[in-house]
Amino acid sequence: MLEQLIKQNNVTMFGTGSQVMFFVHGYGCDQNMWRFITPHFKNTFKIVLIDLVGTGKSDESAYDSDKYNSLEGHADDIINICDALNLEDVCMVAHSVSAMIATLAAVKRPTLFKKLIMIGPSPRYINDADYFGGFSEKDIEELLETLDSNYLGWSSAMAPVIMGNLDRPELAAELETSFCQNNPEIASHFAKVTFLADNRSDLKKLAIDTLIIQSEEDAIASLEVGQFVHKNIANSKLVVLESTGHCPHMSAPNKTIEAIKNYLL
Amino acid sequence: MDYNIDYKEFYDTFPSGYFCSLPNGIIIDSNKIFLKLTNYSREEVIDKKKFTDFLSLGEKIYFENVFAPALKLSGTLEEVNFNFTKKEGTRFPVLVNSVEIKDLSGKQLYTHYIIFNIAQRKKYEQELLKSKKNANELSNKLTVVNKELRDHDELISKQKLQLEEFNQHLENKNKQLSNFAHIASHNLRAPVSNLTVLKDLYKENTDINDKAMLFSKVEIVIDRLNETLNELIDSIKIQGNKNIVHDNINFDTVFTKTLEILDIQILDSKAVVTSNFCEASNIAYPKLYMESILLNLLSNSVRYRAPDRIAQIHFHTEIINNEILLIVSDNGLGIDLKKYGHKLFGLNNTFHRHPDSKGVGLFMTKAQIEAVGGSITVESEVDKGTTFKIILKKKNNG
Repeated sequence: MLEQLIKQNNVTMFGTGSQVMFFVHGYGCDQNMWRFITPHFKNTFKIVLIDLVGTGKSDESAYDSDKYNSLEGHADDIINICDALNLEDVCMVAHSVSAMIATLAAVKRPTLFKKLIMIGPSPRYINDADYFGGFSEKDIEELLETLDSNYLGWSSAMAPVIMGNLDRPELAAELETSFCQNNPEIASHFAKVTFLADNRSDLKKLAIDTLIIQSEEDAIASLEVGQFVHKNIANSKLVVLESTGHCPHMSAPNKTIEAIKNYLL
Repeated sequence: MDYNIDYKEFYDTFPSGYFCSLPNGIIIDSNKIFLKLTNYSREEVIDKKKFTDFLSLGEKIYFENVFAPALKLSGTLEEVNFNFTKKEGTRFPVLVNSVEIKDLSGKQLYTHYIIFNIAQRKKYEQELLKSKKNANELSNKLTVVNKELRDHDELISKQKLQLEEFNQHLENKNKQLSNFAHIASHNLRAPVSNLTVLKDLYKENTDINDKAMLFSKVEIVIDRLNETLNELIDSIKIQGNKNIVHDNINFDTVFTKTLEILDIQILDSKAVVTSNFCEASNIAYPKLYMESILLNLLSNSVRYRAPDRIAQIHFHTEIINNEILLIVSDNGLGIDLKKYGHKLFGLNNTFHRHPDSKGVGLFMTKAQIEAVGGSITVESEVDKGTTFKIILKKKNNG
């Protein structure tokens, strides 16, 4: 069971420490996004990294569109991995949509988690009556079109070859440099599920201590959204970084590390 | 050779848009082509605009979640398709190549972007995609129609086979009917004529003894007429019995039984009877018919042996052209086929005025053979011998 989960989610583990720091990447990329952050915690924490099913080096064949038609599917995977690894008191660091995935997991199994660190979270991307998510449905359609037009060269027949073929090093090398190139069908499906989701009501159910890290300028999850999240999670703290863009853990890693360290240690 | 390229001139005239941005996204430099493409003045862009300002909201999501992280991780990214917005709001499709420039410590200094306007290429792409979609739809339709045609074809073939079978059946029935008509008229005419003559004679005659003699002649003719009618009726029954049951016949077994039945006649005649059923030792055939056929042919060969030599009679089976043949040959009296060939299998015919000959057998034998779908032919030379060749049935039906 553990072996199968490790393969399914490309689970990687390293580091030493009594506590576990579990990183979950957001929409668009994979665990590589954490590579500027993890080195600074591996001597004090046991680090666990995963690729959500359908991204990175996860088992693409495990992508069941019925299961992953809601974020609960990924939340269940996280719970199963924690159980299989016998983890407890987990500190989860989750970016973007994974902040909601982590929320769902923590609501289902609160005793599993000690602390939750959200980077650029958003419970809903599409504007509602009194709610500013930042986007209209038309915008999400445009995103899907952009996804389509940037995958014309992708041969989905190639993907398994690239993923599993160790005797073709030139392909492996190619993969190393082609980051965030996920299976276009899955990427499109995951985009729909992510950007059409509404997890506002789940925030109130969260009882874990939560830190919200927010870029001062983020077109995807704006300050307003960050404040909404903070207001709706009981035990939460909001930290606004002097950074721009939706991925401060990539564009301003030092500031992000500082914020995390201040919260955890 | 030194070509003395003026890099300043090159920078402003090389045929693609170019701009450069800081890590926070602000554009710090751009070439004239980029400004021309987007319809902005230099002052409106430098230190004022970011890459994402040229994108739609939906594309911004893609930029922040996929493009920027990928660029950060690999240092360079190529052939990414966006739609850039001009100052007046219209949009045009582009391909973007980008590269990050870092200092020696790995800190990012700035990012270079090259923008290719692909408006024409995009139109072509859309047309290709549309054609592809149409072609796929057409292909699917064709596959469906093709299957329908094939199914229809199969149906027609089946029906054709059925028609052919039925046609064959009708032909057979027709042949039987015309045979019957011929035989009936042929074989009933003579006895009825005889009866008419005898009746007239009887009427005219006054002598009691003559009348008694005539009447006994009438009795004989009536008996023969009766026999003929019975045989005809039996043969019709055989011909009409299309679905007669086929048994598993072993030639050796049935032949042995036949030898037993004719045991006395064979001993009496001192005939030497041999057989060889190795080539086709078994057959699915109506048991009664097979027994009747073997009995009739053996009995004929024994009966019509040549008086001056030892009768040698041989039964064997062969497979020729996927058909099972039964061949019966003897060295007996032979038949003058020129004279009697056409009458050989007729009803009530004999050719040798032999005391025991009845001639009924070959007519029935032929009827039985043909009822199972076979045929019988004969080769013969007077005073040399006779060979009957019977095609029993096709091998794959056996």
